[in-house]
Amino acid sequence: MLPLSIKDDEYKPAKLNLLVKISGWFRSILADKTSRNLFFFLCLNLSFAFVELLYGIWSNSLGLISDSFHMFFDCTALLAGLAASVISRWRSNDSFSYGYVRAEVLAGFVNGLFLIFTAFFIFSEGVERALEPPDVHHERLLPVSIAGLLVNLVGIFVFQHGGHGHSHGGEGHGHSHSLFNGSVGHGHSHGGHGHSHGGHEHGHEHGHGHGHSHEEPHCHDEHSYSPAKGSSKQILQGVFLHIVADTLGSIGVIISAILMQKYDLMIADPICSMLISILIGVSVVPLLRESIGILMQRTPPSLDHALPECYQRVQQLQGVYNLQEPHFWTLCTDVYIGTLKLLVAPDADARWILSQTHNIFTQAGVRQLYVQIDIAAM
Amino acid sequence: MDDKYGSNVISGGKLGRVEVPNDRLTKYIVLLCVTKLLKALGIFESYDLLKVVHIVQFLFILKLGCAVILVFFQKPFSSGKVISKRQWIKIFKHAVISCVISLLGFFGLTLCGPLRTLLLFEHSDLVVISLLSVLFTSYGGGPSKTRGAAFFIIAVICLLLFDNDDLMAKMAEHPEGHHDSALTHALYTGIAFLGVADHKGGVVLLVLALCLRVGFNTASRKLSVEIGGAKRLYALSNLVSSLVLLPWVLVLSVTTESKVESWSALLFPFSMIIFSVMILDFYVDSICAAKMEAPRCARYSSIFLFLSGLLLANFWTHPLTDQLRAMSKPGQQTSTEHVLSGGVLVSAAFFIMSDNILSSPSKKGQKGTLVGYSPEGTPLYNFMGDALQHTSQSLPRFIKESLKQILEEYDSRQIFYFLCLNLAFTFVELFYGVWTNSLGLISDGFHMLFDCSALVLGLFAALMTRWKATRIYSYGYGRVEILSGFINGLFLMVIAFFVFVESITRLIDPPNINTDMLTPVSIGGLIVNLVGICAFSHAHSHGSSKSSCTGHDHGHSHHGHGHGEHGHGGHGHSHGGHGHTHGHGHSHGSGGGGMNANMRGVFLHVLADTLGSVGVIISTILIRQFGWLIADPICSLFIASLIFLSVIPLLKDACEVLLLRTPPEHEKDLNIALEKIQKIEGVLSYRDPHFWRHSASVVAGTIHLQLMSDVVEQRIIQQVTAVFKDAGVNNLSVQVEKEAYFQHMSGLSTGFHEVLAMTQQMESMKYYKDGTCIM
Repeated sequence: MLPLSIKDDEYKPAKLNLLVKISGWFRSILADKTSRNLFFFLCLNLSFAFVELLYGIWSNSLGLISDSFHMFFDCTALLAGLAASVISRWRSNDSFSYGYVRAEVLAGFVNGLFLIFTAFFIFSEGVERALEPPDVHHERLLPVSIAGLLVNLVGIFVFQHGGHGHSHGGEGHGHSHSLFNGSVGHGHSHGGHGHSHGGHEHGHEHGHGHGHSHEEPHCHDEHSYSPAKGSSKQILQGVFLHIVADTLGSIGVIISAILMQKYDLMIADPICSMLISILIGVSVVPLLRESIGILMQRTPPSLDHALPECYQRVQQLQGVYNLQEPHFWTLCTDVYIGTLKLLVAPDADARWILSQTHNIFTQAGVRQLYVQIDIAAM
Repeated sequence: MDDKYGSNVISGGKLGRVEVPNDRLTKYIVLLCVTKLLKALGIFESYDLLKVVHIVQFLFILKLGCAVILVFFQKPFSSGKVISKRQWIKIFKHAVISCVISLLGFFGLTLCGPLRTLLLFEHSDLVVISLLSVLFTSYGGGPSKTRGAAFFIIAVICLLLFDNDDLMAKMAEHPEGHHDSALTHALYTGIAFLGVADHKGGVVLLVLALCLRVGFNTASRKLSVEIGGAKRLYALSNLVSSLVLLPWVLVLSVTTESKVESWSALLFPFSMIIFSVMILDFYVDSICAAKMEAPRCARYSSIFLFLSGLLLANFWTHPLTDQLRAMSKPGQQTSTEHVLSGGVLVSAAFFIMSDNILSSPSKKGQKGTLVGYSPEGTPLYNFMGDALQHTSQSLPRFIKESLKQILEEYDSRQIFYFLCLNLAFTFVELFYGVWTNSLGLISDGFHMLFDCSALVLGLFAALMTRWKATRIYSYGYGRVEILSGFINGLFLMVIAFFVFVESITRLIDPPNINTDMLTPVSIGGLIVNLVGICAFSHAHSHGSSKSSCTGHDHGHSHHGHGHGEHGHGGHGHSHGGHGHTHGHGHSHGSGGGGMNANMRGVFLHVLADTLGSVGVIISTILIRQFGWLIADPICSLFIASLIFLSVIPLLKDACEVLLLRTPPEHEKDLNIALEKIQKIEGVLSYRDPHFWRHSASVVAGTIHLQLMSDVVEQRIIQQVTAVFKDAGVNNLSVQVEKEAYFQHMSGLSTGFHEVLAMTQQMESMKYYKDGTCIM
C-alpha cells in the first residue's frame, strides 16, 4: 500500500459531520475582519432581497419579484468575495502546493466579469428603451430604490472602513502557512524513504525535515505578509466596485424617477441607465486587466523596469555565461515568484553565484526564486 | 535662410519630426477651421446661385471680383520685378487652364450638389499626389499608404454606386432645350455618351478635374517662383482669366436672356463667395502651409472641410436656414435634390480616413527597437533591419495572415467555420426580419449575434494561444484558452440564471405566446446548432486521438531519454520502464478527458443553444397541440438547470488550473517521481515542490534540492529533470543547494550569528550523513 493513499485519507474531510464543517466555516468567516464584513453585508443584502420577494409575492407585483431576483444575483458577487476570502486562507496541500491564495485574484476577476455582463445587459436594455420608451409606473419605484441605496451606502461605508483591518489580520495566516509548508516537506520525506530504504534513514530524514521548518520562516515570513494585503486588495476592489455600481444604479433610478415625476421626461430613464452602464464598464476595466495579467502569469508590471537591470547584474557575476528562461510571475498581489536558469563556467563558484543571484532578485522584490545552475559543457 | 534649410533637411531626411509647440499652432488650426467652414458655406451658396446664374457668368464675376480685390491688396504691377513678355504668355496659359479647371469644377458642382463636390474636389495636392504615386508607381510608401489609397477608391466607388442621389431621375426630366449654352450642352452630351447618369457623370468629371488641378498646381509652381510669389501669380492670373472670359460673357449676355430678376439681390452672396472661396481660403492656406508642416495642414483642412460640409448638408434644406438665407432666394423650387444618403455618409467617412492616412508623413526610422542593455547599463536600440521599414501593418495582409493562422489548426478552423455559418444564419434572419418588419425576428437575430460573441472569444483565444512567449508573458499565451473557457462557462452560468429567473416569473404568470413564427426560426437555429455540435464533437474525438498520438511520440522519446539517463542512474531499470509505461497510459487518459478548455466552453455554448431551440420546439408543439401554456416555462427551467449542470465541470477544471493546482492527472506520477528523486544518490532532501499546469501543453514545476557536497550537481539536475519529464512536467527548474543555503541567508542579510550557528548545524549533519552513506 502506498503511503500516499493514507495521507489522502488524512486530508479528506469526513463526510458525516456537516454541522461541524459549517460551524468551522462560520468560525473562519468570523475570524477575519474582511470576511466578517462581507458576511454581514451579505446577510443584510439577502434579508433585504427576501423582504422584497415576500412583499412582492404578497402584493403580487411582478416588478418587485424580478427586482428581488436581481438582488439575489447581486449577492452572488458578495458570495464570491466571501468564498474567496475564506478559501484563500485554506492551507496549501499536496494538490495545491501554493495554497489557495489565488482564489482572491479569481474572485476579483469573476466579480469584474459579472459587472461587465451586467453593464452590457443594462446598456442593451437602455438602448431598447431609448428606441421606444415604455410606460414606467414610478409610484413604487422610489421607495424601493431609496431603500436599496441605503443598503448599498452601508456597504460602501463598511468596505472603506474594512480595508485597514485586514492587513493586520494577515500575519497569523502567514505564519501558519510557513509552518505548514515545513511539515509537508517532512511528511514527504518520511513517506518516500520509508518505503525504499528502511527505518534508519527515516529517522534521519525526520531530523532534517525539522531543520528545514526551522529555517524556513525567514524566507517565508517575508513572502507571507503580503498575501494579507493582496487579498484585501483584489477581493475588496471587486466587491467594492460591485457595490458602487449598485449604488450608482439606485441613484440613477432615483434621479430618473424624480425627473419622470416632475417633468415627465420619459427619456431620462434609458439615458441614466446607459450612462451608468458605461461608468461601470469603465471602472471595471483596470481590475479586469490586472487580474487577467496575474492569471496569465504575466511578468509583474511593477518589476518591468527592475528586471532588466537585475538580469544585467546577474550576467555580470563572475563565471556566469548566460541567463536563460527567466520566468517571473505574480502569485497573488505583491508575491512574486521567479525561476531562471544560469549557464555558468565549469570552474565557477556555483554557491556564490546562487546566493548572489538570490540577493539581487530579493532586492528587486521577488520573494521566491528558483535558480537552476547549468554548467556549460567545455 | 540657412536655418530654415537645416530644419527642412531634418524633417525631409526623416530623422524625426520636428515638433512645433502645440499652443502656437492652435491659433492657426482654429483659423483654418473657420476658413474651411466659410468655404463650405460659400460652396453651398454658389450651388444655389448656379441654379439661376449661368456658369460662365458666375465664373467671370468670381474671377473679376477676386482680381480687383487682389490687385488692390497685392499691387502686382507696382511691386516686384518687371514681367517679361514670355512670362506674360505663361501667365496667359496659366489663366486659361485655371479657367477650364474651375469651369469643370463648377459644372460638376451643378451636377453633384455641394456636399459631393466638397468631398471629391477639395482634396489637397499632397493627398492626391501620394494617392497617384501609390497607384501608378512602384514605391508607394508602404502598406499604410496603400490602405489610404484603397479607402479613397472605395469612397469614390461608394459615391458612384451606392449613392441613390439620382432617385429624382433628372435624366428623364431634362430635355435638351433646357440647357443654357453650347458649353453645358456639350458637356451633357459627353456625359450621356459615357452612358452614366448626370450625377455619376458629375462624380467622374470632378475626379478628372481634381487630377487636372493637382497637375496644374504642380506645374505652376515654377512659374510662381519666376513671377515672384504665388500670391502675385494668383492675382495676375485671376485678372487675365477674367479678361479671357469677358468676350464670352458679353456674347452670352447678348444672345441669351438672363433668368436673374435683380442683380443687386445677388450682390451679397457673390461678395461672400468671392471672399470665402477665392480669397480667404487662398491666404489662410498659404499662411498655414508656411507655419505648420504641409501634411498636417492638409490633414486638418480636409477634415474640417468635410465635416463642415456634412454639417451644412444636414441643415441647408432645413427651414431655419431657409429663413436665414432669405435674402438670396435663388428660386422657389424645394431643394429635395442631393440629399444626404447612406452612401454619401459612408464615402465621407472613407474620404476622411484616407485623407488622414495619405497626408500623414511617412515615419521611417523614427524609433528603434530595444534590443537590450549594454554592459554599462545603457539601453541599446536597434535601428537596422525592419525597424527602418516599419510602418503600420497593412490591413489586407493582416486579414490574410490571420485567416491563414485560423485555418492552420483544426480547432480554430472548426470554430471559424461554425462562426461563419452562425453569422450567415443571423444575417439572413435579420434581413428577413427587417424585410417583413417583424420585431421578434430582429430581436432573435440580435440575440444570435450576441451568442456569436462567445464564438468570437473562443476563436480569438485559439489564435492567441499560439502566440510566442514574450518578455512580459514569459510562459506564452497558453493560458488564454483556459481563461476563455472560464469566461464562456461563467457567461453560460449567468445566462442560465437569467433564463431560470425568467421562467420562474413566467411560471407564476404565464404570458400568451404567439407560436406562428417560432417554429421555422427555431428549427433553422436547431439545424445550425446541430451542425455545430457535430463539428465540435468531431473535433473532440479528433483532438483526443491527435493528442494521444503526440502522447505516444512523447512517451517514446522519453524512453530514449530514460535509457540514456540510466547509464549512470544506478537505480533499478525496472523503475524506468515502469515510469515509461505509466506515462504512456496517462497521456492516453489526458487526451480523452482533458480536451482544451476553450473548445469545451465553445462546445457547451453551442450545446446550450441547441437545447434552447429544442426546448422552444417542444414547448411550441405542446402549446399548439394541447394548449399548455405552462410548458414553456417548465421547458426553460429544465434547460437552465441542464446548462447549469453541464457547465460546472468545466468551471471546476478551469478554476483548478487558475488556482495553480497540481494537475490531477499527473498527481500520482509526480508523487512517484518525488519518491524517486529522494532515492537518487546524493540527494539529501527537497523542499517547495510546486507543479502546476500553465496551459494544455505546458506543465511547469519548480523544486529546491539539497545535495551532499561531494556530488556532481549537473548529473543530479539531469536526473531530476528526466524523472520529472517522465512524469509530464516539461518546464522544470531545479535549484540545487549545497549548504549554499546559508550563503543565501547571508545574501538576504540575516545576522551573522545565525548563519554561523546554522553552518555548524549543517556541518554536524553532514558528518552524520556521510556516515550513513558509507553504511
